[in-house]
Amino acid sequence: MTIAHRFDYVRPDSLAAALQVLAERGPGARLLAGGTDLVAWLRDDADHPDVVVDVKHLPGLSGISIEDGRVRIGALVTFTEIIESDLIAQHLPMLAEASHTVASNGIRNRATLVGNLCSAVPSCDAGPPLLSYEGTVHAAGPDGERSVPAEEWFTGPRATVIEPGEIVTHVTLPIPGDHGACYLKLSRYRGEDLAQVGVAVVATPGGEYRVSFGAVGPVPFRAPEIEAHLAGRDLDDEVIAGAEALVDGVISPISDVRASAAYRSHMSRVMLRRALRAAVGRLRGDGPAYGAELL
Amino acid sequence: MTTGRTYPGRADEVNAMTELTYVGKDVSRIDGLDKVSGAAVYVDDIDFGPALLHAEVVESPYGHAIITGIDTSAAEAVPGVVKVVTGRDFPFTFGMYMQDRYVFAVDRVRFVGEQVAAVIADDPRTAKAAAKLVAVDYEVLTPMLDPMDAVADDAEPIHPGLGDYPHVPWFFPKAGTNISHWRKTRRGDIEQGFAEADVVLEDTYRVPRYAHCAIEPHVVVAKLDHADRLTLWTASQSPYAQRHVFAQALAPLGLTHQNIRVITPSVGGGFGGKAGVSMEIIGAAVATAVKGRPVKVRFTREQEFYNTYQRQGVVARLKVGATRDGRITAIEHTMHWDAGAYVEYGANVVNAAGLSATGPYRTPNLKIDSLCVYTNLPPGGPYRGFGYSEFMFGVESHMTRLAQELGIDPVEFRRINAIAEGDPLPYGEPMNPSGLQEAIDRTAEAIDWGVEETSDDPTKRIGKGLALFWKAPAMPPNASSASFLKFNEDGSINITVSGMELGQGYATVMAQFAAEVLSVPPHKIRVENPDTDRNPYEWQTVASHVTWSCGNAVAAAALEAREKIFKVVHDAHGYEEGSLYLEDEKVKCDTDPEFELELKDFVVAGIETEDGTYRGGPIVGSGTFMPEFASARSDPETGQGGHPNVHYTVGAAGVILEVDVETGKMRVKKAALAVDAGKAINPRLVEGQITGGLLQGLATVLYEDMRFDENGRLLNPTFTDYKIPTSKDVPDEIVPIIVETPQPDGPFGARGVGEHTMIAAAPVVADAVADAVGVRITSMPVTAEKVALALLEHDDER
Amino acid sequence: MKYTVTLTVNGSRWELDVEPNEVLLDVLREKVGIKSPKIGCERGDCGSCTVMLDGHTVRSCLVLGVEADGADVLTLEGISDEGLTALQHKMVELSSFQCGFCAPGIVLSTHELLQHHPHPTREQVQEAVSGNLCRCTGYDPIIEAVLAVTGSAAGEEVSA
Repeated sequence: MTIAHRFDYVRPDSLAAALQVLAERGPGARLLAGGTDLVAWLRDDADHPDVVVDVKHLPGLSGISIEDGRVRIGALVTFTEIIESDLIAQHLPMLAEASHTVASNGIRNRATLVGNLCSAVPSCDAGPPLLSYEGTVHAAGPDGERSVPAEEWFTGPRATVIEPGEIVTHVTLPIPGDHGACYLKLSRYRGEDLAQVGVAVVATPGGEYRVSFGAVGPVPFRAPEIEAHLAGRDLDDEVIAGAEALVDGVISPISDVRASAAYRSHMSRVMLRRALRAAVGRLRGDGPAYGAELL
Repeated sequence: MTTGRTYPGRADEVNAMTELTYVGKDVSRIDGLDKVSGAAVYVDDIDFGPALLHAEVVESPYGHAIITGIDTSAAEAVPGVVKVVTGRDFPFTFGMYMQDRYVFAVDRVRFVGEQVAAVIADDPRTAKAAAKLVAVDYEVLTPMLDPMDAVADDAEPIHPGLGDYPHVPWFFPKAGTNISHWRKTRRGDIEQGFAEADVVLEDTYRVPRYAHCAIEPHVVVAKLDHADRLTLWTASQSPYAQRHVFAQALAPLGLTHQNIRVITPSVGGGFGGKAGVSMEIIGAAVATAVKGRPVKVRFTREQEFYNTYQRQGVVARLKVGATRDGRITAIEHTMHWDAGAYVEYGANVVNAAGLSATGPYRTPNLKIDSLCVYTNLPPGGPYRGFGYSEFMFGVESHMTRLAQELGIDPVEFRRINAIAEGDPLPYGEPMNPSGLQEAIDRTAEAIDWGVEETSDDPTKRIGKGLALFWKAPAMPPNASSASFLKFNEDGSINITVSGMELGQGYATVMAQFAAEVLSVPPHKIRVENPDTDRNPYEWQTVASHVTWSCGNAVAAAALEAREKIFKVVHDAHGYEEGSLYLEDEKVKCDTDPEFELELKDFVVAGIETEDGTYRGGPIVGSGTFMPEFASARSDPETGQGGHPNVHYTVGAAGVILEVDVETGKMRVKKAALAVDAGKAINPRLVEGQITGGLLQGLATVLYEDMRFDENGRLLNPTFTDYKIPTSKDVPDEIVPIIVETPQPDGPFGARGVGEHTMIAAAPVVADAVADAVGVRITSMPVTAEKVALALLEHDDER
Repeated sequence: MKYTVTLTVNGSRWELDVEPNEVLLDVLREKVGIKSPKIGCERGDCGSCTVMLDGHTVRSCLVLGVEADGADVLTLEGISDEGLTALQHKMVELSSFQCGFCAPGIVLSTHELLQHHPHPTREQVQEAVSGNLCRCTGYDPIIEAVLAVTGSAAGEEVSA
């Protein structure tokens, strides 16, 4: 296997040292955590960094914990760790559900949630859950730390608000308490695939619904129009049909080798319907188990 | 056999053996340990030392263009680059059945990805970087991507020189056109046949291209040594065929068969894609440019997709007539094959289809036209099923629809029309013994045909389909096999053959043949990987023919060794040879129950006699097999008169399919597949072919989906976007069914099954979808998207 | 720029000069001479390059060699060194593999599975190897071997 491009590699042992490297090397630096995106891009000759900065040995970026009433997920936390976390299972089950749909175990053992958010491909599986769970991305930079709400994080395909000198250190999410949620992913078969449509729904006891889409626009996004339509209402067939009718107005799917825009549009409606029903069922306590095959 | 012909080989002798110890048993694979331990060595695992060079291919970005100039100077100047070669250095054509392909494109490129030059360097990175510096100038032409466009009257010929290409005598190219071969088969009076029909159904079916996706990519290491011998290590199904093609292509450089050696270690899957010669010609050629050093060409997965053989696409027009009581009166099948830029191998796929595209049915009147059409897409070639996987989608979809139009149960329709032993085949010869009716009955039973199933889930419908399949090996009439066999001092055996263990279990089955004849357990028998210097000839490991052909050769070699064993014992001890037999690795005697002699005591050392002299010596055996009844000579206009196919393997597949009417997603709840193996030498391995082949076939109909852009560039040359099955995509339940109607000239009655198990998967799913949701999809793949959108359209129309 | 990387491979310590743009798969195959991890797709899609890195299966084509400095690598050879496991024996007995190219990755993935789930369900076995593409077998004979061996004593070391 051949990565033609030559680059340096550094392995800082502190956040300060890492930020220093970024400051010195500028936009030619790439952060390397799991590497399942970056190394593939290097091999495809799609990226030509000057230096790769391995952040896996930075302290403080690991672990899942509760801090200040929020779930804190370190930048180095892998999808496997999320799936195996009792804390996530208890508080953010839909995040584990979504994590389980990412690639395969050998990828999930390396790929990080934060890496997925930073790669920011429109179909990223971490995007819709982070939006519907109203998470926040925390980054450290030369001027200190900043927090970016999920809704402001993505700016375009493979683009986020992150600046070249910054490192995402962790993600935090409010503890939802009692809720039902569902992440559905359209793929071409049951094996690993990139989402052709992603839908993440959260339903709360207070009648609040949070609906996010992935892979049907340049970025993952919330759908406030649909949320407003659903808010406070019992989700009978008519209400859900009304929500489905709003879908085409909020999504902008493309046709590519994976799926046509027509199918994506159709499936966005079907998946919204099924995700809403599952979320509501789970809130009620009689819904399908998280991870059940609903498509 | 009904024809009264005699058959070569010694099948009769082994077929007379009644109490079988190893044949017909689930012997565990003799190479299982190698594979599970990591010991198995594949081409890319072999170390060639620091002198190994690496060649990177420079590829055409255009589907069709004239090469107006190549400047290699910048690439040559890169430190570490040893040489850069282009088509000018090797202006030679090559090909299996037609010589229409160049080592490197010479005057024009004909598909995106075609090799134009190669950079040979000390390390892969340098080669890759330097390859980017080779400057090629093109005059871009409009690529033709649709065979229907390529056969239009005003279509420009992609191969203006077609009329001069050497080819096998059974091909009929039309010079000046893009029709590189046209196989016509006609029997009876087709118009009369349609006139007699009460119902005639006509439609067009479209099947696109597919990729083999063996997990091991193609790779070749080649070295021309200082004695002018060219040695190649290839991942190949066909070392001897490769040697022959190299000798043909490189003859102008003074290379002959004697000076070319092809070695094939373990191969990581073939499926037809590693037959013949595709990218290996690059290795052979570049080696001649750097005498004394080995050169490796290893394809990336992307190159594997677009510059090794692809399964050809086909546009198939079917017209079938039948009487009210369900008898087929006429079958007309016209196939325009998207055969790609070079058809040196693919034209034989077209030929094979042209001889058999009625499907396994009897019909008094038939007209088959199979046209091999050049297009500006990657070269088509052999793929598991060899044309039958491609055309049976249409045939089995069509037969079900015709039955439904007649108001006859589709399975009953097949029972009525299924071809039987002695019936005339499309080219006139009689059909061999086959258990097609048994296959139909057992498959129908396995899926409870006739019993409608419903789902509790309101979004799901359940449908059933049952489809037949058949296939004959598509081979030259003199395709042959040979085997050597020797004993070792511990009583173990080495068999040298040039059939290839691709994973199908070939080596184990060959061992079982020898084991049965010589009473040596299979796990004391080694079957050596091919080396054209040491192992005797095998035509190719394709066509599902090696169990039959090479099995006959191995059986013959074992019989010869057994004869020598009995002669030595006779010479040393006086027993009549006819009274001797082998059991538990010992020679025993009917007339003297006390006598027993362990093989290991004398199969190398000989037997010492009373006066201290010895009899015998190393026991070796040899055997060959070549059919002497096959002939490729037939009437070019009717296909009659020859005997191109040795025999057919038949079977049936059935499926219970659940369709989600909202998403279009399909789930195979149960798949049953019955194949007539003649004699399952190793039932577990036959089941392995059923499970593996079925899944590969299901993948072609459910989600494998090759897409090209308007320039002929493959858009999805990766597993990210060309999806092949994972462990999560297996059917809920598979019922393998082995039918055994012996093949009279097969060793122990065996015939091949390796390809057949995928052939019916595509139509059986299309039929089940139609049964479940009333939507008939006549193009592949039948994806969830297609089903969902078709259902929406269906609903809109109502 | 070359880096000196120290890693343990199947229990043996190796000190190697590695360029940052060399992936672990190539370091293992070319510099350590371990051939069981295979090159199948070079983008992490096929799983034939699977090795265990610090106790987890990873796609070694997506790991830079320099990242493995200080790490512990286990490949199929390392599992087979002590004699085949019960699972490997069962895979031989049931003829689970055909061409064998996917076998190293599959054996490692099932090895990892049995470490966490000594008695896995069929679905868990399917999930565990879902990142290892096999074109030959249709997977059932592999799954069958895992379920057969975990019905009794799972993952026990058995002398060859």
